[in-house]
Amino acid sequence: MTAPRVSLQRRLLLGVVGVAVVTAAVTGTATVAGFLVVAEEHPIGANRVGGRILAELPGRLTTAQVGLALVVLGVVLVTSAVGTAVSLGERVLRPIGRLADAADRMAAGDLSVRVPPDGDDEIADVAQSFNHMARSLQESVTTLQRMEETARRFAADVSHELRTPLASMVAVTDVLSAHGDGMSADAARATHLVVREIGHLDRLVTDLIEVSRFDAGTALLDAEWVDVAAALDATLVRRGWTDQVQVRAPEGLTASLDLRRFDLVLANLVGNALKYGSAPVVVTAQEGPEGIAVDVTDCGPGIPHDALPHLFERFYKADAARARSDGSGLGLAIALENARLHGGDLTAANRPDGGAVFRFTAPAAVRPAPPRPPPPR
Amino acid sequence: MPRILLIEDDPQVREGLEIALRHLGHDVASRGDGEAGVEAVRSAPPDVVVLDVMLPGADGFETCRRLRAFSQVPIVMLTARSDDLDVVAGLEAGADDYLTKPVRPRVLEAKLKAVLRRAAPATPAGRSGPLEFGDVVVDRGSLVVTKGGTALDLTPMELRLLLALAGSPGLVLSRQQLLAGVWGQDHLGDSRLVDACVQRLRAKIEDVPADPQLLRTVRGFGYRFGL
Repeated sequence: MTAPRVSLQRRLLLGVVGVAVVTAAVTGTATVAGFLVVAEEHPIGANRVGGRILAELPGRLTTAQVGLALVVLGVVLVTSAVGTAVSLGERVLRPIGRLADAADRMAAGDLSVRVPPDGDDEIADVAQSFNHMARSLQESVTTLQRMEETARRFAADVSHELRTPLASMVAVTDVLSAHGDGMSADAARATHLVVREIGHLDRLVTDLIEVSRFDAGTALLDAEWVDVAAALDATLVRRGWTDQVQVRAPEGLTASLDLRRFDLVLANLVGNALKYGSAPVVVTAQEGPEGIAVDVTDCGPGIPHDALPHLFERFYKADAARARSDGSGLGLAIALENARLHGGDLTAANRPDGGAVFRFTAPAAVRPAPPRPPPPR
Repeated sequence: MPRILLIEDDPQVREGLEIALRHLGHDVASRGDGEAGVEAVRSAPPDVVVLDVMLPGADGFETCRRLRAFSQVPIVMLTARSDDLDVVAGLEAGADDYLTKPVRPRVLEAKLKAVLRRAAPATPAGRSGPLEFGDVVVDRGSLVVTKGGTALDLTPMELRLLLALAGSPGLVLSRQQLLAGVWGQDHLGDSRLVDACVQRLRAKIEDVPADPQLLRTVRGFGYRFGL
């Protein structure tokens, strides 16, 4: 900024001095005029003080004229004061308003916002400082985002790289298992261990890849209109859980769901309930104003209070001392992502009468118009 | 004993899968790239092809299209990336089914059996009268489909899907119904198989596949066949 800087302080000073000068002029004039009127109406006092001056003035001023003059002068005074205030206000308030708007937009997440730094006063300085801050913030956030993206891509790449060697190992595990009989006891145990851990690694890598697809935004929703009770039954039948789980779903309840993803979510919730909770495990589906809700409840010890807020975090373990489980530690994180992909949510809570409850919700999608039969030919 | 052709570029994965499939009692041949795979199918057609998506040179999708140009052999894609887009692209290129790597041999075995079972020629329906839909004629007795008098070359799955749809003209069949009825219960959940097969069928029976008149989508519900 090379423009000469006119200090706001000087402007204010000029404004105040201007108003003061006008005020002084008006007051002075009014005083003189009042004095003249008094001199005319009270000649005795006036003779002594200003009779001569009065005599030299052309014509005589009446009270009405002086009153009019006072009104005019008053109007001039008020106008000039208002004018000064308005012009100062304009100069000060407009840039401040722009700054406030910019700050609001920035708070709403738009880090690219900048304030035009026109003007040559302190406000322009503030605008420049604001722009500088916005620029630094934007750079920092961009750097952080790039780092996060790099980290995520790294996790995805590692998972993919692990998959190929894992694929050849997974392929031969059955062959290894089948030949365990002819081995020495130690060799058979070692083989069993390797086979089991390959299975674990397989689940871990598969889940990592699934998570990285959500992070990369490549997970797609393939929703269709389905019967909820049928979808629940299909999941339980496929995993052989029908004897251990009760289903309560109203007949004819339909929802817009990606069946493959819904199956994964439900299998995860029911699997956890069977593993960590205790019977009876109940799956309840219902329709509310916001869409459908599917609750998976068990009658186990419930979820430890301090674990509740972290349950959906990746690799979170409710009990640090608990031995590594069969799962990947990503099951609930993936289930939550799947629920969100539906535009819904997944929440966990403890029931007042004991046991945990997990609730999957999906919004009521716009129900397509029922198909019309084709016109008779 | 079904003959399996494995097209996979990674030597270790190829060897692992070969060992596993032989162990399960299959006759396995393998090739390391798409061109060699296409040649192998041309010279000695296998019963089923297991095709990796990530191949050097012509990738799995391209190889699949080249195979489909002359062969109706069942193809199972191995998607390394398990991207949704990969699955859809593979099915649209003409694959009959897919599996994501790493593949457990038992899962692969089940999938191969299902694909082979579905690849068996469709059995003629009891009622064998030909059905006419404009210039498309579906003869349920001889299992011949003609369009404008010319016989169409349909894969077994396309034929089964067409028979299921043409069997209830004018009715809306959901993707799940078609999946259960045509593909079998083991596929409950993945209706992308239906969508991909519908696309391929449309390419053969519709005048303008992008503006289908015969095999229409009923959005949110499924498909309806008939003029």
